[in-house]
Amino acid sequence: MALNPDRIGREFYDELRRHYSEEEIVELGAFIGFNIGYHTFFGTLKFYPMFSPDGRLVSQEESARLYGAAPASLAGVTT
Amino acid sequence: MPHVEPLKAEEIHDPELLALIARCEALGVPDSLFPRILAHVPAYAKALLRALLLSHAEGNVGHRLKEIIRVQLARTAGDAYFAGLRSVQAAKEGLDEDTIKAGSGEFQDDPRFTAAEKWALRYAREMYVNPEKVDAAFYDEGRKHYTEAQIMELGAFIAFHYGMQAFMRTLGAAPRRQ
Repeated sequence: MALNPDRIGREFYDELRRHYSEEEIVELGAFIGFNIGYHTFFGTLKFYPMFSPDGRLVSQEESARLYGAAPASLAGVTT
Repeated sequence: MPHVEPLKAEEIHDPELLALIARCEALGVPDSLFPRILAHVPAYAKALLRALLLSHAEGNVGHRLKEIIRVQLARTAGDAYFAGLRSVQAAKEGLDEDTIKAGSGEFQDDPRFTAAEKWALRYAREMYVNPEKVDAAFYDEGRKHYTEAQIMELGAFIAFHYGMQAFMRTLGAAPRRQ
C-alpha cells in the first residue's frame, strides 16, 4: 500500500480472503492507511520516544541518538 | 465495484453510524460508498468518519483551503475516488474547479493564493513527495502564517486524509456521481 499500491488489485484482495474475513480486511486496510499517513507526518516533526529501550526517561536529544538513525523515509525505497 | 463490497444501506442499523453517513452525504466528502465499506467494522467506521468530518469541515483553518489540499493529496495518492469528490460546503463558499486544479499544479506563482495558502499547499505536497524538505526551517516559515495549533490541525488533516486515500486507492473505487 505504501510502496507499490498498483500491486494491490482484485487478485490481492481475493488472496487476503483466504486468510481474513471481510471485516478483518477493512480493519487492516484502514489501520495501514492511517499509519502510512501519520508516520510520515510524525517523521517531519522530529520527535522520539520518551523512554530508552531499558525503560529510562531520556531527553529528546538522547532519544534521537538512540532511535533517530533507524527509520527512513519511504522516498526512494523500492522493493 | 470496489474490491471490498460495500454494505447495502439497509444492512446498516447503528443510528450513530447512519447519522454520520448522512452528514458525509450532505457534505459530499465522502459520498456513502466509503462509509459503507468501513461499515463492515462499525466501531472503526464511526471513529474514522467522525475524524474525517472533524478534520475537514471544522477547526480553525478554512474549509475551502482544506478542500483544495484534500484534492491535491488524493491526486498525489493516485486515488480516483477521493480525487473525484467535491465538498458542497466549499462550493457554497465560492470554491471553483479552476482553483482546485490550480492547487494541484504550479500554485507557487499563482496570485489567487495567499502566502499562507501557498505554504499549506506546499506542506501537503512535500509531506508525501519530499518529506525531507519538511524540516525545522519549513515549520519556522509556517509559523509566520499560522499558529502552532493551526499547523497541527493542518498536519493531522493532511496525514489522516492521505492515509484513507492510500487505502481507498487499493480498493479500486470511484465516486458514486461523476
